[in-house]
Amino acid sequence: MNTFAVLQLSGCAGCEVSLLNAEEWVGEHRLVYMPLVLSAANVPQVDILLVSGGVRTDEDLYNLRRAASRAECVVAVGTCAISGGVPSLGDRDEVRELFIAEEGRRHVPRLLPRCSPIDTAVDVALYLPGCPPTPELFMAALTWPAEFEASTIVCRECGRKKLKDMRPTHLLGFQKGEILPDVCLINQGFLCIGSSTRGGCRAPCPRAGHPCVGCRGPSDVLIEKESSAWFSSIQRVFKALTDIPPEEIEAALRSPQYALFLFQFSDYAAPERPPRPKEKVL
Amino acid sequence: MARLTFPMSRIEGHAQVVIEVENGKVVSARFQATEFRGFEYLVQGVPAEQMMVIVPRICGVCSTAHHVAAVKALEDIYGVTPPPLAQTIRELLMLGQTVQNQATSLFLFTMPDRLGVASIYQLAQATSADEAQTRIATRALHVRAVGTHLITTAGGQFIHPIKAVIGGVISGIGPEQAAAMREEAIAALPVACELFDAYWEMSVALKERIGTWGDDAPACYIAAVADTRPDYTGDAIRVLCPDKVRDTFAARDFRDHLIYEETDYSYAGRTSYRGNVMRANSLARINMAQAMGTPRADAYLARFREAFGQPAHAILLYDLARGIELVYALERATEILAQPLEGEDTAVPYSPRDGEGYGLVEAPRGPLIHRYVVENGRIAHADFIIPTVHNVMAIERALRVAAERYITPERVDMELEHAVGRVVRAFDPCIACATH
Repeated sequence: MNTFAVLQLSGCAGCEVSLLNAEEWVGEHRLVYMPLVLSAANVPQVDILLVSGGVRTDEDLYNLRRAASRAECVVAVGTCAISGGVPSLGDRDEVRELFIAEEGRRHVPRLLPRCSPIDTAVDVALYLPGCPPTPELFMAALTWPAEFEASTIVCRECGRKKLKDMRPTHLLGFQKGEILPDVCLINQGFLCIGSSTRGGCRAPCPRAGHPCVGCRGPSDVLIEKESSAWFSSIQRVFKALTDIPPEEIEAALRSPQYALFLFQFSDYAAPERPPRPKEKVL
Repeated sequence: MARLTFPMSRIEGHAQVVIEVENGKVVSARFQATEFRGFEYLVQGVPAEQMMVIVPRICGVCSTAHHVAAVKALEDIYGVTPPPLAQTIRELLMLGQTVQNQATSLFLFTMPDRLGVASIYQLAQATSADEAQTRIATRALHVRAVGTHLITTAGGQFIHPIKAVIGGVISGIGPEQAAAMREEAIAALPVACELFDAYWEMSVALKERIGTWGDDAPACYIAAVADTRPDYTGDAIRVLCPDKVRDTFAARDFRDHLIYEETDYSYAGRTSYRGNVMRANSLARINMAQAMGTPRADAYLARFREAFGQPAHAILLYDLARGIELVYALERATEILAQPLEGEDTAVPYSPRDGEGYGLVEAPRGPLIHRYVVENGRIAHADFIIPTVHNVMAIERALRVAAERYITPERVDMELEHAVGRVVRAFDPCIACATH
């Protein structure tokens, strides 16, 4: 029976909670380390090491390297481990200045300059994207079920109709007014980026009426390209469906808190890093 | 001076307990939170309306509570009141959070202490384990999953929900979806009760073995739910003190009642009720409850009262109080899912404006407050007032009681390590929230 361990770095435990919803591995794998649900002192020698959370502190870095040295293969789980995730909003210069100013005033740890993806420190065999990844992705990583199909884009899974004749002229911001149940959110003026975001989540957000915020990262078509390709792909979709000025969309996309950068800021703030090969991303 | 360090497991997040001993006497017992991401800083400059997407990422266990607290803080600023249907769906969302959390705490975090194993998964998958225990483990995981399905039904997403928006919720719940969810909750209720009964017996056996239910000195209790039919979306904060003095205050007045201080050993700090040790979480709510308002939960409450009185102080009773709430949340969810949950307005329009606002919810661990200052539509300042932090003084007091019991001038009893685990898990602390 294969053994696996779950190491949490600086994160929210949402990935672990998602794993708790996947039960099918129970007969096939032996869980040997996961502090959330199992008392064990250290990561032992394991076949598979799942790592969630980003590398935020030097302690994270130490724990990651030590655990990875005992693992046959390392799987990056969730957006924080893959691309920094939401906590990497702390990488912005103005927030870093706040951190430094507070260090003397409050009891806070010394943080690394960036909240880094784990592949900056160790070799990663497989990536499970999402905030959090779905239980199905965990199952795919652990057991490779025959019916598992790699995902395309969120848009395909959403089911809202794209209309040619409903063309908003401005972005609506987040939630304003009534949301029509079956019509594409872009037609209704929302900055939804489901057209370029990796699918596999079954589009729960846009189906419920909330624009896709891109938590699963770029789709296969875009993942090995730089961020400008992602930007122009979204622009093309908005041009086809709306009369919103491209500058308005550009400004919204470039705001670090808006959709595109919310989960990938650390990645695109450090463009010297090579892209992740799409074969390794579920 | 000897320093005993106990890294914690089966709680949310990274923490350790450090007990200092000199000549066989306990000098200090401290609870250290050892992680930090800086959410109060990193949300600065964020467009206010995006907070509901960002703040659930403070914690994947308590994400629903943060999601609802954020929307309530912004509604406080914008001066909007969501329509009744939206309030009902938010209540259902918080009930899902309660089921998920109390089942996780009871069955995944603390039941292994009763069974003498390192993890419930060892029972679920061990071939040599006895069949009754394996059955408990698989059913426990199933009840927990029902809580996550409730969150998905009401919140759109099962870990970081998205449906609460300023002015209400983005959509209702269709009759087919509600009926299916209701069937699931109805089916889970007897399973949850059976597991809770077994858990209760195991707890009594544990008490008989170790001879105590833990620190039972009186404390102040704090919760943001009414004393019957608890609605975890929170209205006002209530405090019950040992001399039966009751206090009620609004979230925006919390500074007049709750005193926060930094510590030099933890990234979480601690809060007191005007200098007094305070306890939040399940036992606080159960101690203040007159009735739960649903039949099976009320039967458990009566049984609890008869056995332990009101208020009950011993810390292992936190776990039993969680079981009562698990049963209540399933029953109450079943009631709500029988109502029509779409067709009416789910949201009211609003106009954004700048200002200061407070959002209060009763999270599984106690009253959670988000305070935002919005300038030019962006977050200029954010405070997250976290219930786990309210419990830090009570945790440390209970740790000291346990340490003094098991450390003598002659020896350190190895039961101490188990005792430290039981004490901390009774409070079900959440470190990702506490440090954020």
